[in-house]
Amino acid sequence: MNLITKTTLFYLLVAMLVFGLGGVLTFYLVQKEVQRETDFALRDHLIEITEEVEEGVPLSFLKRGKVDITDLGTAPRDTFYSLSDTLAPHPYLEGQLEPYRKITAVQEVNGRYYRVSITDVFIETDDIYDVVVDIMLRLFIILCVAMLIFSFLITGWLFRPFQKTLDRIRSFNLKDQQVLELPQTSTKEFRQLNAFVAQMAYKARRDYLAVKEFSENASHEIQTPLAIARGKLELLLETPGLTDEQLDLVQAAQQNINKLSKLGNALLLLTRIENKEFAPNQEPVNFSRITQHCLENFSELAGLKGLALSSHIEPDVKLIVDPTLADILVANLVKNAIRHNIPKGWVEVKLDQQKLLVRNTGNAPRVSSEQLFERFQKSNQSNGSLGLGLAIVKKITEANSFQVAHRYADGVHEVAITF
Amino acid sequence: MKLLIVEDEKALSDNIRAYLSRGDMVCEAAFNFEEAQDKLLSFDYDIVLLDIMLPDGNGLNLLRLLKRLQPETGVLIISAKNALDDKVMGLELGADDYLTKPFHLPELNARLNAIFRRRKFQGHKILEFQEIKVNTDTHDVLVHDTALVLTVKEYELLLFFIANKNRVLTKQAIAEHLWGDNVDLLDSFDFVYQHIKNLRKKISAEGGADYIKTIYGLGYKFSAD
Repeated sequence: MNLITKTTLFYLLVAMLVFGLGGVLTFYLVQKEVQRETDFALRDHLIEITEEVEEGVPLSFLKRGKVDITDLGTAPRDTFYSLSDTLAPHPYLEGQLEPYRKITAVQEVNGRYYRVSITDVFIETDDIYDVVVDIMLRLFIILCVAMLIFSFLITGWLFRPFQKTLDRIRSFNLKDQQVLELPQTSTKEFRQLNAFVAQMAYKARRDYLAVKEFSENASHEIQTPLAIARGKLELLLETPGLTDEQLDLVQAAQQNINKLSKLGNALLLLTRIENKEFAPNQEPVNFSRITQHCLENFSELAGLKGLALSSHIEPDVKLIVDPTLADILVANLVKNAIRHNIPKGWVEVKLDQQKLLVRNTGNAPRVSSEQLFERFQKSNQSNGSLGLGLAIVKKITEANSFQVAHRYADGVHEVAITF
Repeated sequence: MKLLIVEDEKALSDNIRAYLSRGDMVCEAAFNFEEAQDKLLSFDYDIVLLDIMLPDGNGLNLLRLLKRLQPETGVLIISAKNALDDKVMGLELGADDYLTKPFHLPELNARLNAIFRRRKFQGHKILEFQEIKVNTDTHDVLVHDTALVLTVKEYELLLFFIANKNRVLTKQAIAEHLWGDNVDLLDSFDFVYQHIKNLRKKISAEGGADYIKTIYGLGYKFSAD
C-alpha cells in the first residue's frame, strides 16, 4: 500500500469520525431550531387568533382544524401560554398517532377570557435523523470519491521526483564511473532524501574504489617481492658447491613462496567476484565446451594419479555466465575431485541443461557439507591445497544465482551445481 | 639476443638480468615508463620484457608505441595481474606471450627463447645441442640424425632443457612448465622423474649421451660437461 493511499485512508477514517459527530450535532441543532421555529409559528398563530377575536370574528368560524377556542366568560383569570408536545391522530393515516406541538393559552380580549389551544405538525425526530444521515452519507461518499481521485492524481505528480530517485538508485552501479544524478525537486523531504542518497552513493563508491584499489595493489605488491624472492632462490641454486641440505632448504623456501603467491591470487579472485567485477555478457556461453576443455586439461593429471576420469557432457549447454568464472568453476570442482581422492579411485563429471554433477571417490569429510564451502576449511591439512577452491566455487555460484550442494554417501562425494 | 627489461622493481629486474646474462643474452634495464620510452626510441631490441604496471604509465601504452616503432620486436608481458582482460588486451596489441608474477626464471628463459625463435627464424630454427637436433617447426628430434619418437610432454621437456642448458632446473619448475598451475595436484614429482627417465632412455637408445644430470633431491641440469 503506498503512502498516499495510506494517508487517504487515514483521512477518510478521520472524516468518518467527524461526519459521525457532525451528524449528531446537526441532528440536535436542527431539532432545536425546528422546535423553536414551530414555537414561533404557534405564538404568531396565537396572536393572529387573538387579533381576529378582537376584530369580532365569530369563534365558530375560527374554531377549525388545529385551533380550539373556548369562551371562558368574563370572570378574571390568569392569562398565560404554555407549549407542550402531544400526540394526535394522523390526518390521513387511520389509527396512527403523530407527535404534535401544542400551544395552550388563556387570553383576555376586550374583557372576556378565552382558552385557545393550537396544535401544529411537528417535524418528527426520526425524519430529522433520516435527513441528517442521508446528507452526511452523501457528503461522505462525495468526499471519498474526491479523495481517491485526488490521491490518484497526486501520486503521479507529487511523487514523481521520488519515483525518479528510486529508479536512479535502482540503476546505480558502484562500478560505473558516472555520478549518481538525482532529480531536482521543491519538496523539502525529497530534497533531504536526495542529498542523503547522493552522499551515501559518493561514500560507497569512494570506499569501493579504495577497497578495490587496495586489493589490486596488495596483490601486485605481494607478487613482486615474491617474484624477487623466488628469483633470488633460483640464482642461489645456480651457485656451485651447495650441499644437499642447503639445496633442500632452498627448495622448501621456494615451495612456500609458490603457495603464498597462489594464496594471494585466490584471495584476489574472491574479492573480485565479490566486487562483481565479472559481469556476464548477455550472450550465452557454451558451458559444454568449457567443461570439455577443462576435462581435457585434467585428464593427464588424473591419469598420472591413477584415477579414472569419465564424463557425460550434453552438447550445447548454454549459460549466461562470465567465461573466465565458468572456467574457474569447473576447474576448481574437477581439481578438488582429483585432489581429494583415493588410490585407484574415479572421477565422474555429468553435465546437462539443468545441472553440473561432479562425483568422485574419497574419504569422508571431517566437516559438514556447508562448512566445506567456507574459506580455509580443509579436511586434510597436509596436502597442497589452499582451502579456497570450494569457497571460490560458492562465490561464483552465488554471483550467478546457481545452487550448489555437496553430498557424501558410501565413499562417494557429489557436488551438484544447479543452474 | 638483445633484451630490454622494463620493470619498475629494481630487485626483480636485477634477478632477471643476472639470470639471463649467464646465457647468451645482452640485457638492458629500464625502470620506468619514460626511461623505457627513451630506450625504445633510440635502440633496437630483439625482445622487450614488459611489466604492465609501471609507476608513471601503463605498460600497454608502451606496447602500442613499440609496435609502431619496431613491429618486428618480440614482446613478453609480465604482470601481477592474473586477469584475463589484461592478457587478452596485451596479446591483441601484439604481445607474443604473457607471464604472470611470480614466475620461474627458467620458464622466463624458455619463453624468451621461443619468442626469439619465432621472430628471427619464423620458427624454422634447428636447435642443436651436441648430437641432438630439434626442428621447432616440424617438431622432429634427431639424435645422430636418427629420428626419435617422443610424446608431446617429452618433446616439451627436451626443449625446456635445451633452452636452459647448464642451468639448475627444480622439479617444481619442470612440473609447472609441463602441466601449468595445476601441478599442485601432483602429490610428488615422480611423474617428472618418469618423463625424464623415458626421455633419457629414448636418447640413449639412438646412441646419444646422457646430458640430464640429476641433482639429488632438487632437480636436474642439462649439460654437456
